[in-house]
Amino acid sequence: MAINVLNPSFEKDAAPFDHAPRLNTLSGKKVGFISNGKEGTLGFFTHLDNLLRSDFKVADVIWLQKANYSAPAEAAIIEQAQAWDLAITGLGD
Amino acid sequence: MTLLSENIALQSFEEAQEYYHSRGWTDGFPIVPPTPEAVQACLEWAYMRPDELIGVEPVRERPITAEKLAINAVMAGCLPMHFPVIVTAWNAMLKEEFLLHGATASTGGCAIFVVLNGPIRATIGCNNQFNALGSSDRATSVIGRAIRLGLINILNVSPGSIDRSTLGHPGKISYCIAEDEEGTTLGSLAEARGFPSEVSTVTVFAASSPRQIMNEWTKNPEEILDTYASEMKSNMRSYSIWSGNYAIVIPKQHRDHLQSAGWGRKEISHYLFEKARISRSEWADVGKSSVIKGKGQQEYSALSSPEQLLIVAAGGPAGGFGAIIPPWLGNKSQAVTLPIGVCVDCET
Repeated sequence: MAINVLNPSFEKDAAPFDHAPRLNTLSGKKVGFISNGKEGTLGFFTHLDNLLRSDFKVADVIWLQKANYSAPAEAAIIEQAQAWDLAITGLGD
Repeated sequence: MTLLSENIALQSFEEAQEYYHSRGWTDGFPIVPPTPEAVQACLEWAYMRPDELIGVEPVRERPITAEKLAINAVMAGCLPMHFPVIVTAWNAMLKEEFLLHGATASTGGCAIFVVLNGPIRATIGCNNQFNALGSSDRATSVIGRAIRLGLINILNVSPGSIDRSTLGHPGKISYCIAEDEEGTTLGSLAEARGFPSEVSTVTVFAASSPRQIMNEWTKNPEEILDTYASEMKSNMRSYSIWSGNYAIVIPKQHRDHLQSAGWGRKEISHYLFEKARISRSEWADVGKSSVIKGKGQQEYSALSSPEQLLIVAAGGPAGGFGAIIPPWLGNKSQAVTLPIGVCVDCET
């Protein structure tokens, strides 16, 4: 017997967004980390910090940490990130 | 009533099963095909429009509409009279303090523990005694499942997608109980959280799996609760030390002993607030020495305050058992209780 049924999923496409402009070089740039604060992030970001400074000659690396690793970054962090050339986030566990 | 979702023509019940499974729209079990008529019946029962906005998931800014919840409710096996419970549960889950995205995405693998209070329990035929934390009755089974299917389908909380749980637990299939208000003099969880007994409510709690305890060898309230406290402390040692909402499910045998001794919710919660504590040094006993970090004498409580304890009266009439249900992760998510805001038995 033929039946008609309904789609249970969210059918609209995710809101479109543009990627941030890509950088031609990291040299002399200000890089920010937004850490979720989990145990594994310390080693990861420490290594990445060293790598960025030694191999890619970035001007500075700023570390910030979210108050709650399961929640989005606070407004103050997002505001501070406006001054960075590059942000790295969403990594570590 | 004009429904807005994609309408799909299929040839049979069997084809519907495979169609839904193949698109990742199920929890692995067969579903009830959500026909427009069945979905419309849910919406009409709750006096809701298809496009009525239940809320917006704040992290991904995804709107949750009544129609999508109704489709998933039908798929789970819900009857129209179950639908207001599901709407209220989603209203509660979408409160900021519940932290829905974190609770459903976390590697910690929590599930949404749902407790029903008030007259709705009888209306929809809940059983709050035998096998309360299992498949005790149709209503709680399908309501819990409907919430999970909604998460899967509306928010993509599928394993390996948004759901990054390392293990998860069986409560992620369905995790809903009704409190045995008639079988206790403790008063209800909803009353403890500020709602009159004649109001039906839904409490949602981002929770780990139940940890069952047993103590059949005493009638002493302190000794009974020491067993519950022990399991809370065990969770703090082996899982998470952070304080948060803990639920304890107390079946009748333990409740009778507590009530006979004159203990109520206040005495129980204050006792466990004082007793469920560990020092950080105890991590050394369970292989976690490396994170003591010189703070071994620091004391931690399972509860930030006695009021954080969610006491639920439920379970079969015999057996010196109980359960603690720990929080997903401390205070990152707060339990939320809301009244059911639509009449389920009004005359139209």
